[in-house]
Amino acid sequence: MSVQSLEIRRSSASVWGSPSGMRSVPTVAKYIDTSTCIGCKACEVACQEWNDLPPLSTQQVGTYQTMPTLDAGFWNLIRFDEREVEGGLMWLMRKDQCMHCAEPGCLEACPAPGAIVQYANGIVDVNQDNCIGCGYCETGCPFDVPKFHAKTGKMAKCTLCVDRSSVGLEPACVKACPTGCLHFGTKEDMVALGSLRVDQLKKGGFTTAALYDPQGVGGTSVVTVLAHADHPEWYGLPRDPHVPLGVRFWKNILRPVGLLAIAGAFVAAVGHYFNFGAKQVQGSADSETNLPQV
Amino acid sequence: MSAVPIRDRALDDAVTVARDREDVAVGNEIVRHRLSSRLIHWSVALSFFVSVLTGMPIWTPFFRWMADLFGGLSVCRFIHPWAGIVFTVISTVQFFHWLGDMKLEPNEKDWLGPRAWKYLKYQGDDSEVGKYNGGQKLFFFAVSLGALGLLVSGVVMWYPLSFSQLVRELSILLHDVTFILFSAAIIWHIYLGTAAEPGTFGSMVRGTVTKAWARLHHPRWYREVTGQK
Repeated sequence: MSVQSLEIRRSSASVWGSPSGMRSVPTVAKYIDTSTCIGCKACEVACQEWNDLPPLSTQQVGTYQTMPTLDAGFWNLIRFDEREVEGGLMWLMRKDQCMHCAEPGCLEACPAPGAIVQYANGIVDVNQDNCIGCGYCETGCPFDVPKFHAKTGKMAKCTLCVDRSSVGLEPACVKACPTGCLHFGTKEDMVALGSLRVDQLKKGGFTTAALYDPQGVGGTSVVTVLAHADHPEWYGLPRDPHVPLGVRFWKNILRPVGLLAIAGAFVAAVGHYFNFGAKQVQGSADSETNLPQV
Repeated sequence: MSAVPIRDRALDDAVTVARDREDVAVGNEIVRHRLSSRLIHWSVALSFFVSVLTGMPIWTPFFRWMADLFGGLSVCRFIHPWAGIVFTVISTVQFFHWLGDMKLEPNEKDWLGPRAWKYLKYQGDDSEVGKYNGGQKLFFFAVSLGALGLLVSGVVMWYPLSFSQLVRELSILLHDVTFILFSAAIIWHIYLGTAAEPGTFGSMVRGTVTKAWARLHHPRWYREVTGQK
């Protein structure tokens, strides 16, 4: 459900784009520090509660993870991985959710006008009223986030608690986090906080620590501190995410070329008629004596 | 005095014959498409247009207005795959119905190139053109192949979560390319079958053409059916 008080920067399947720039709002972001996450899953519960999502049965996947992937009714998942690093054992936990890309592949792929919007503050939201449940956004998303909700036939994902953040509250997950590994604020502030923490980690011996803010999708409104940023796949993150090439080619090249080709076929037919006219049967069509001589 | 329409008994007879037989001369008419052929053709056409009108608003918001013909984009999203299934099923029936008439003769490969241009310029020697010319046969195989491509890619797009990312992306592109080529071809199919060649549309409505039409467009077929030169 789109929020009326927020200006929309981008809207899916819109011919003319959205009017934005009337208001000046900073891009917001959520900060996640995987190095201080204890995997308590308070954020999972807070997300379910605030968004009125009914509880789902947990699934045993062989780790401390609640279920294998995100779900249309489960928008916040603590991913768990166990790694042996330099002789020691690491528990790697990352809060998985919509990354709220600056250049969202879901929005690019979506064919339903206004079903996916990007607010001026950077939050990417699914407007279920307009969603037709085709699943193209699944194909467009490099993070495998939007999920199909079988009961409603609509797609669903994390809204970055747009209903809270638009009235000055932090997202429910951030509110619930007991260790302070989650923060919410302007993107600028969150990146600064992330850089600070990365420096700390580096001094503490995690030489490959870095802030995950992938530029392939224009940066994200979820910035993640990774102690082992040289292995983002350990955390279930793609190394260099971008809007899939197939989706970009389809929307930006194939579609306009196709429109021109179809229009061209029509214009060519009209042109042919003006130039050559109809191939008329000579003489009277129902008189055998007037058959054309071949 | 008002003109009293004169019933053309020969045409009536031909239309009656056209219910179950084709390639026969009746008076000044020749039956070109018997009733079953025409029903199959128009079923394909109807399901094709339902598919197009429900698919194009999903393809691009330029054609969003088409969705209102069916009650909105969600309705289109529901109808489109089913219309597509109906289209491919009837296209399959059509393929086997007409396959026998569509055997390409060796020299008809030319229709891929210069022969098609000559045809469009109303030039060249048509005297050996049978019931279907090379262009029609190639069109027949092209749309049959196109229907297959639309089906295969369409099933993937219908159940995207059952397929890998790569297969989904390729399917979207295949569905698009096939649709674009198909639509361009259909525009010309309709144009040639109506405005460009008077008398042709009637062959798909009443089932009959005049002998003069047959002799102009399909002279060898004309000779085979009538036994005349």
